[in-house]
Formats: sequence, C-alpha cells, structure tokens
Amino acid sequence: MNPDDLLARLEAPLSVRRRLGYLAVGLAGLGGAGLIGALWATEPGLPAATAAAFALLVLVGLGWAGFGGWALTRRTPLYAADRVLAGWIALAAWLAGGAGVAVIAAVRGGLPWPALLVVAALGLAATANLIIARRRRAALLARRRELTGRP
Amino acid sequence: MSDELLIVRCRLGERAAFAELVRAWHDPVWNYVRRMLGPERAEDVTQEVWLAVFRGLPRLRDPARFAPWLFTIARRAVVDLLRDEYARPEPVDDPDTAGPDGTDLVVDRSALGDLLGALPAREREVLILFYLDDLPLLTCAQICAVPVGTVKSRLNRARRLLRAALDEKGYPR
Repeated sequence: MNPDDLLARLEAPLSVRRRLGYLAVGLAGLGGAGLIGALWATEPGLPAATAAAFALLVLVGLGWAGFGGWALTRRTPLYAADRVLAGWIALAAWLAGGAGVAVIAAVRGGLPWPALLVVAALGLAATANLIIARRRRAALLARRRELTGRP
Repeated sequence: MSDELLIVRCRLGERAAFAELVRAWHDPVWNYVRRMLGPERAEDVTQEVWLAVFRGLPRLRDPARFAPWLFTIARRAVVDLLRDEYARPEPVDDPDTAGPDGTDLVVDRSALGDLLGALPAREREVLILFYLDDLPLLTCAQICAVPVGTVKSRLNRARRLLRAALDEKGYPR
C-alpha cells in the first residue's frame, strides 16, 4: 500500500459531506426537540396521552442531537476551521429556533420561565462555543505565521 | 517542512497538509504494522491507524510529540491483535550485565526483515522502531510505555535472538 492508496481509502470517512450530514442531523434533532418543547410548555391542560407523545418526540429529538454531537466529536475530526463554521451554524440555528420560540410565545401570550431559561442557556452555549473556536483558530494561525515567518 | 508546521496546518483543517503528513509518515507506520502483523492484516490496520490519527489530531496539544503519539496509536492497534504474544511474561535481564548482544551483526535491511518474524513481539517491535524506522531510544520508550533501560534490554535480547536466527539459517558471521 502506498500513500495515495491510503489517502483514497481515507477520503470517505473524513469527507466534509459526512461531517455536514452529522451536523444537520444534530441540529435538526435539537431544533425539533426545542420547538416541540416550546409548544408543550405553552399548552396548558394537555391530555396525558398527548403529553406523553410530546415527551417521546422531545426525547427522540434529543437523541438525534446527542448522536450528531457524538458523531461530530468522536467519529469524525473537527478541525479549527470546521469548529468555527460549526459555531456559526449553531448560532444561526439558535437564532432561528429562538425566533420560532418567540413566535410561539407571542401567539400563546408568554412562555414559562424554565423554557426561557433553556433558550437563554442554549444561546449562551452557542455564543461561548463560537468565541472559543475563533480563539483557538487564531492561536493556530499565529503559530503558523511564526513557523513560516510569513505575515 | 517541520512536523510541527504540518501538524498546525492539519489542525487548522488544511486538506493539503493531511496528504503531506501521510506522505511523510506512511512508510515508517506501514513498515512497523506490516512487520509486526504480516502483509495480510497490515492494510486494514494501517488504514485504521491513520483514521484514528486524523480523528485525534484536533486533540493533540503538543505537535513536538507527534511521532510517539502516532506510533502509540499504531502500537495499540498491533497489541490488540497480538494479545497472546504480548501476554507472555518478558524475560528479565540487566542491560549492563547481559551477555554478548550481537552488536557485531551486519545484516542488510531486507535480510533483517525476513528474520524479524522469528522474534517475540516485544523484541521485534523495538528492532523495527529503532533500526528500521530510525526512531531515538527515548521515542521508542515513550511508544512502548517503558523506561529507556527496558528498551535497551529488549534491543540486546533482540540482537542475541537475531544472531541465533542468523546462525541457524547459515548466514556468514
């Protein structure tokens, strides 16, 4: 086996498309769980069967979100540039999800504080994740400049 | 280009750097895996090793430790497949008081490759790492997770075993 054979074999497991697929699955799961959770939280007096169905759907959504996160961090490498991109996508997804939750809150006339707390925590996590990813990439770029001697 | 720069470029996500890293380190890893496991299993294991390397690179903090880190991953894959061989107790001898170690041995690399299969796994791996892959003693010790003295003992024992194997096959002294 020569290096070219090896690189050809590594192409599929390391492909950007696969990583984006895992990211999409994770975000879809998280978004779905968030929206169903918001609907559930703003709908008082639901029958037990409906509440159970909502709980199941939230669990399924969180399961897919967990799988996406696990696959992204453990099954495929997430390099500095990928992390910054993923950070922006996560922040955009939070903004979109937050807008959906805001619409639901406006239609239903408010949102219970635990739900608001969850939305705020997710926003903080997405922002912190992006800041950390940008700092790490900047540190690596600075090291590359030092090693190459190029500005 | 230095290994550190290559690693930094890989961690940034530069696809071209991945190819350069593979080209720079493919042969030592391939030599090690193939000589430890034989050609039948070497291709799949080498692929798994590199996959683990690229998955782990974002978490590699010290690029200067790339070589021992890379070979530690390769060794883990090899040990997994040679559990029985590694489970055997290792003979104990003092590197300073051990008998003749066969350092007068002059064997070309292809002949050495043919004879390696006759050696126990621990001795075989230090010979490959030290002589065929030209890694320093300290790096060999880090890879095998043993003190440098133990690596020296294994090298001495390996040379004696190799000398015996050469005599048995009738190679001239």
